[in-house]
Amino acid sequence: MIKALKKGLIGFGLIGVWGSAFLVYEDAHAQASHLFRTYKHEVPQKLPETPEAVSEGKKVYEKRCWYCHGIEGRGDGPAAITMFPKPRNFTRNEYKVRSTPFGSVPTDEDLFRIITSGIEGTAMPFWSTISEAERWQVLYYVKTFNEQFKKEATPKVIPISVVAPTPESVKRGEELFREMKCFECHGDDARGNGPLTVALQTEWNMPYRARDLTKGWNFKGGNRAEDIYRTVSTGFNETPMGSYLEKLSDEDRWHLAHFVKSVAKDMASDVVVKVKLHEGDQLPSEPLDENWSKASPVEIPLAGQIIASPRHWTPSIDAIMVSALYNNDEIAFLVEWDDSTNKQEEIFRDAVSLQFPTKIPESLKKPYFAMGDSSGAVNLWNWKAHWQEGFGQIMEAPEAEPGMVIEMNAKGFKNVTTQPPESQNVTGRGIYKNGRWKVVVKRTLKTEDVKGDIQFEIGKLIPVAFAVWDGSNSDVAGQKSISTWYYVMLEKPVPRTVFAYVLVAIVMGASVEMWFIARLRRFPPKLEEQ
Amino acid sequence: MANKRKTFLFIWIITAVVCLFLFLKYASPKIFQVLMGKGHPMPTPSTLMMWYMIMGVLAGLVYATTSNQKFVDFLSFLLPDQGPRIKFFLQKIIFVGFPVLVGWFVYTWSIPGAASPVELRIQHPTLPQDFEKLENPFRQADADTQRRCIEEGKILFQTYCRPCHGSKADGNGPFANSFRLRPINFQDPGTIATVVDNYLFWRIKEGGPGLPSESTPWDSGMPSWKDDLKDDDIWKIIMGEYDTAGVMPRQREKLE
Repeated sequence: MIKALKKGLIGFGLIGVWGSAFLVYEDAHAQASHLFRTYKHEVPQKLPETPEAVSEGKKVYEKRCWYCHGIEGRGDGPAAITMFPKPRNFTRNEYKVRSTPFGSVPTDEDLFRIITSGIEGTAMPFWSTISEAERWQVLYYVKTFNEQFKKEATPKVIPISVVAPTPESVKRGEELFREMKCFECHGDDARGNGPLTVALQTEWNMPYRARDLTKGWNFKGGNRAEDIYRTVSTGFNETPMGSYLEKLSDEDRWHLAHFVKSVAKDMASDVVVKVKLHEGDQLPSEPLDENWSKASPVEIPLAGQIIASPRHWTPSIDAIMVSALYNNDEIAFLVEWDDSTNKQEEIFRDAVSLQFPTKIPESLKKPYFAMGDSSGAVNLWNWKAHWQEGFGQIMEAPEAEPGMVIEMNAKGFKNVTTQPPESQNVTGRGIYKNGRWKVVVKRTLKTEDVKGDIQFEIGKLIPVAFAVWDGSNSDVAGQKSISTWYYVMLEKPVPRTVFAYVLVAIVMGASVEMWFIARLRRFPPKLEEQ
Repeated sequence: MANKRKTFLFIWIITAVVCLFLFLKYASPKIFQVLMGKGHPMPTPSTLMMWYMIMGVLAGLVYATTSNQKFVDFLSFLLPDQGPRIKFFLQKIIFVGFPVLVGWFVYTWSIPGAASPVELRIQHPTLPQDFEKLENPFRQADADTQRRCIEEGKILFQTYCRPCHGSKADGNGPFANSFRLRPINFQDPGTIATVVDNYLFWRIKEGGPGLPSESTPWDSGMPSWKDDLKDDDIWKIIMGEYDTAGVMPRQREKLE
């Protein structure tokens, strides 16, 4: 009895240790792709739509929703100023995620699903945290803002079956993507950079952004093929995304959905960017060099710069992909991000910045992630599109002679200095193609300016942070997308001595084993009692 | 002589250890995913894995030595005798497998790997003295004023704090994924419910840069709001924040 109790206690102890270790572990390995909101399809038993339910819903609305959607449902709540996309205006029929035809109001179930799931890429949170009854009540109240709900009491639902994808279907979908001119808004590579989107955005200043279909985590109303089929069929009310219910056959809409699903990718994030040793003579200096396929890219989510005023609440760049290679002399980074235009203006221009501490930290301590602080300086490598030919008016890069990258040092926002010409030793080359910037920046592993430049060392975790500016989103100076500290690590090649160690270990293991068995044979174990 | 099952004790113990490994490696991440309601598997940390495996092997050896009979059976497996064919076959596998396993261990230990950094920090550092004596001017106000302050605070919270800390104060704002040190979930009973108003006042006013070094200020995305928000607004935000999160600040202990 006591023994069992003891065992139980030990067991509980172990589970406790295990559990807490998980918490620590999770903190260090937060993988972005796991954290995105997903569209939940299940809908429970409906609550009757009674006047009491509506008035209960009003209470919920005025406790939780009005700050963004406005007290009268006009999408003009006080908090809406720090949001893009703007909150939905419930007095209009702007509903996007519906199972009903274009122009119709959504069903109660559609509203329930979106309240439960939230919408990734927007401020809409998932309200699965409030009771089902409250969700039904609040949606009944939301319906009272728009008369159309009364007129269309039971909206028609477009049925959705499930059709499995085939390579032929994906191929046909790609053809349809061209034939139906989807690319005019979504772009040739489906990065949301079609000429119509760009015109609407830059010339008309409209809030419509065609979805970057390669970012699978940002799909409104789910990213399964069935969800994409639904969006293609129903369209998004009050946006340029129309319904293809009548323009395309059921089969063709499935082909299109399968194609879109095939280009939608997850975010492959990690904390450490592993830098591989490049075997060739020269590190690639062009963004399209095929050697980049040998690197292991890491995608890093970005936020608006909200650390210091003026803050950037509505960034347009939400991720950057980083790959890197090194050889005995140099290190080269390839950074890539999606941007719907490469238009450069007088003030607002596309740019990217890599940030390192000036010294590899020996302890936990690092400089402040947002441009360093008085006790820790950072080394910044800024590449700007307008310093390179082909992207609008070329400006003379101040004091940076050969490359397109300017090296700076910072000890905080207000303490930024450009390095003197003799210390400018980062070169860069960027291209813009089909809605994606690809920029290579390159430097020698070591430099003479040991005070202002990071000196790369093999096998060490070197902090790195990123910032991206999107000129078409009026990004400039502190108005930018930023990351916190990540790491780069120049991987040690596997030394040949390792194989010698392994051989020795195997021989030793075998000897010990043989000695043990020989001994066992000579003195076979016997029971003493017998 | 010992029965058939006992003569295979050696193999059974090895099987048990292998099963433990498979459980830790593949089954447990799934089990913890369900238990903790996560959308992704929860892999067993490697150091923990090592300790569990060491314990597993030790437990096997302890079991094998619980009686002399068992110990004899355990070792006898390695001796040549007229056992079934399968025993002969298993002996060969163990004979080859052991040195290979040793070699594999040495290999994985000696190849250079990119380990993730250890980033330990103290989440709740001590409140600096300057902030200890402060008093929230609205906590003692009449009920109407308090209600108004909470509402004003909620509006400010939804405007300036929501992008990271989320509409529900659950640390799930649209920017939350981008900060590796995730914005705090205020609904968690281990966060703002364990501190007094002043503590939040300090955190909002000084932000990440105001943290002591044991709390890794360089990684914290919390802005310092002292240049942008008035003190009264900060007190209101604190009231709105507690209300949004649905928790209460810790009450100061009264000395009798």
